Amino acid sequence: MLTVYRRLLRLYPLSHREVFGDEMLAVYCELHAENKDRKLIPRTLFFAREMAGLVNGALLEHLKALLGVDARLSLSTRRFAMRNGFRFPKSTAVLMMIILAGIALAIEKARVIQASYSNGNAPVVPLEAAHFTFFPTVALLLVIFYALGLAGWGILFALRRSGVHRLDDISISRK
Amino acid sequence: MENWPLTEPVLLILLSLAAQPRHGYSILKDVERMSSGRVVLSTGTLYGALRRLLEDDWIERFEEKERARGRQAYRLTPQGRRSLQVEVDRMKHLTRLATLRVAPGDR
Repeated sequence: MLTVYRRLLRLYPLSHREVFGDEMLAVYCELHAENKDRKLIPRTLFFAREMAGLVNGALLEHLKALLGVDARLSLSTRRFAMRNGFRFPKSTAVLMMIILAGIALAIEKARVIQASYSNGNAPVVPLEAAHFTFFPTVALLLVIFYALGLAGWGILFALRRSGVHRLDDISISRK
Repeated sequence: MENWPLTEPVLLILLSLAAQPRHGYSILKDVERMSSGRVVLSTGTLYGALRRLLEDDWIERFEEKERARGRQAYRLTPQGRRSLQVEVDRMKHLTRLATLRVAPGDR
């Protein structure tokens, strides 16, 4: 968990990390130690909240650094507020965590591959082979993301937040 | 001022620092306690807010001397305290207004 936190901390602009990086990590360590003995669900929620907070914070800091846009703090903490009339369901946190775990896994995999190449004993692969694997990989990724999207929509539908239910409530007859 | 009205997390952070200077972990815990567990800030959210409050000169950062290995703590500046007072007055006014307009016998 600490490794993932450290990696996500790198998403922040350098200027922010130089000032707050060590401090954020120290505070996270204290919180992590405190949550270590808790049950799985509170621990998972804590982790999801921290990771989502980091990603959101990093995005806002980059916006500030690049565009000078300083988005004011507007996050509700139990749910992620979009506007007054709509709130993301709690399942969003779980989905975000799955995506983050995927990113962390991909980073780790890339590191292993990079390490094997730096050893100098990597097998020489003909360039053509890349053409054969590239498009099936993209197709596979598309299928995976499509399935994830469907699953997400299914969750929203089950929670009556997909918008379909609201459309059902609209009466088209004029009196 | 562009910061009005203050969001609840920012207001709670300022209220936490109004009582005494605190470091990051202590602010998180105090905010959670003050809101009876309703507002639980992540470290990313907290330090985003602290950075903005530092830039606006509402709070200042200093090194705690009590600990052997100094750690950073935060306290309200006079400007921050004034701003907090303005926000509290605004909320008091709203509460008075709401009490007058939504009388118990209205239903």
